[in-house]
Amino acid sequence: MSWRQTKDAPFYVGYLNAVPKQLVMFLVVFAVCFAGGLGIAALALSSTQNDPGNGGFQWGNRFENVGILELRPYPVLRVPADGETPARTYMLAGQGKRGAFSQAEKNQDGPVTLRGVPVNRGDLTMIQVGRVEAVEGGAPDFTPAGPEPLGRWKLTGEICDGKCYAGAMRPGRGLAHKACADLCLTGGIPPVFVSSGPVENRNFFLMADQDGNLIGDEIKPLLALYVELEGDVERLDDLMVFKVDLAKARILK
Amino acid sequence: MSVQYTPVIWNRNKIFYDAVLLIAVVLYLYIYIRVAPGFEDVTKPIDGAILRMRAFGSCAFLMLTVILCIGPLARLDRRFLPLLYNRRHFGVMTAGIAAVHANYVLTWYYNFSPTDKYVALLSSNTNYGQILGFPFETLGIVALLILFVLAATSHDFWLSFLGAPIWKALHMFIYAAYACVVLHVALGALQGAGDPIFTSVVAASVVLVSGLHFATGRMEARRDRGEETAKASLQEKGWLVAGELDEIDDDCAKVVTLSDDERVAIFKYDGKLSAITNACAHQNGPLGEGKVLWGCITCPWHGYQYNLSDGRAPAPFTEKISTYRLKLIGSTILLDPNALPPGTHVDPVEIGEAA
Ligand code: HEM
Ligand code: FES
Repeated sequence: MSWRQTKDAPFYVGYLNAVPKQLVMFLVVFAVCFAGGLGIAALALSSTQNDPGNGGFQWGNRFENVGILELRPYPVLRVPADGETPARTYMLAGQGKRGAFSQAEKNQDGPVTLRGVPVNRGDLTMIQVGRVEAVEGGAPDFTPAGPEPLGRWKLTGEICDGKCYAGAMRPGRGLAHKACADLCLTGGIPPVFVSSGPVENRNFFLMADQDGNLIGDEIKPLLALYVELEGDVERLDDLMVFKVDLAKARILK
Repeated sequence: MSVQYTPVIWNRNKIFYDAVLLIAVVLYLYIYIRVAPGFEDVTKPIDGAILRMRAFGSCAFLMLTVILCIGPLARLDRRFLPLLYNRRHFGVMTAGIAAVHANYVLTWYYNFSPTDKYVALLSSNTNYGQILGFPFETLGIVALLILFVLAATSHDFWLSFLGAPIWKALHMFIYAAYACVVLHVALGALQGAGDPIFTSVVAASVVLVSGLHFATGRMEARRDRGEETAKASLQEKGWLVAGELDEIDDDCAKVVTLSDDERVAIFKYDGKLSAITNACAHQNGPLGEGKVLWGCITCPWHGYQYNLSDGRAPAPFTEKISTYRLKLIGSTILLDPNALPPGTHVDPVEIGEAA
């Protein structure tokens, strides 16, 4: 059968204002379905977003502490025990997608007062460094404890940039976030391994290479994927450090 | 259809079209960004920039889906033809929405860094060798560039400047853009933590767009076979039997297929017959599915008009299409399959008593 135009069929010509009567109803129904359909799609797509968790900036809980800056191999602040509170080690990041290397390198030798804003998700805390001042004279005499080895581990999980995942961006993980994480690491933000199974009740690990040095670009193809990593875990006060052998890394999905 | 390429000739239909479009888009964005988060089940809401980025990205994707469905829908059911009339506004608006999406990505994921954000966009993930973790943003960039080029060349000025064949070929890249967007989403958002609704929406879009195109292709092929009578039966040397007079309504046409890319529309009007090519000089619209209005063949797509006897658009327009010679024996219409140069005058065949 071949289709044929007929004399009586409605014929729409766009530049004529008169739309054939038989078409008006059809077009109105279409317009309502089109707009309504988009509205329903918006509701369905937006209200079912995956939960990005509770990470976030702790603006109301500014950080100010005296401690010692170390490169392990990323900058960390070692804070001495104070009465009941045990000694703590905080991971550090700069403003935006920048690390805190310059402040750490400048103040490596003596105690400092560090001000900043914590970014926190559960027991993952990253301090966004505001100001670092060397403590003049009379500084407390404090030697941070050495790392406590916890053995060799094979862990599965995701390598995230520690700041976004801690809550600087919600969500700050997953493939959609891969390029951002890459950019964060390039800028000096410490990589954090988010393990699917805990080691001594902890799931977040600051990452280093197997000799405890900075990890280079070889980490980038592994970012934001579900991977299996192998290496030594050690504890610095309350901070877990994962010294991974990236040559043995496997992408699981 | 503007003589001096004055920007746009507005009329009530276009305003209505754009108004519906705008209302639908604003409704989508408003519900996505403002209303739906109230129904979310999350510990802490996702970042506003990311929510807006997703709202604009998914909006552009859905719009692109609808744009690609309009063509086949209008072929399957003529009542959809009015949607085709102003489709360029739809396309331009889609490009704009997609650009807002890209801008949110750029000023959020690629910002706040010592690296320039444009450099970061191209350099921060270069794992082109892997499927998981592929830099899906690049596919978005390609799609956006295509949408921009098409939006920029959508005006009739470019159509006339480039010529219909090149313009048409250029605008076929819309399918490449769609493919890039589907891959952009499939390698990006869909690889994340399972989101069955978004996955179903994307799958439905792909099934709808390809299904409609497939169905339309089959229908056209079937129709061509139905119209092929002319090719088969040779009545008199050099003339083909095109059909019977009573097959054609007054002021309407019968379409005859000569070969894959050659179809002829034979119009009946005022007791006369004239034949012209079926392809409109504007965007290859099917003239044979149009009608004779005010003594002119009127294209069903955007209303371009041509005189029946010479295939020339009425002054001041200058478009020309090929004409064909006809002959009538009794009530049987014969067609000379050799197209005459566009704009050639052919005396219409008088129907006389045979009618
Ligand atoms: C420069 C060009 C583009 C870039 C850099 C880009 C980047 C991105 C990024 C990073 C995401 C992940 C967002 C997230 O889930 O957090 C995304 C998602 C998406 N993009 Fe694009 N994109 C571009 C162009 C486009 C275009 C042209 C379209 C459609 C016409 C589009 C449609 C989408 C859709 C539908 C999503 C998924 C949104 C969702 O998760 O609901 N993008 N894009
Ligand atoms: S194709 Fe646009 S008017 Fe004929």
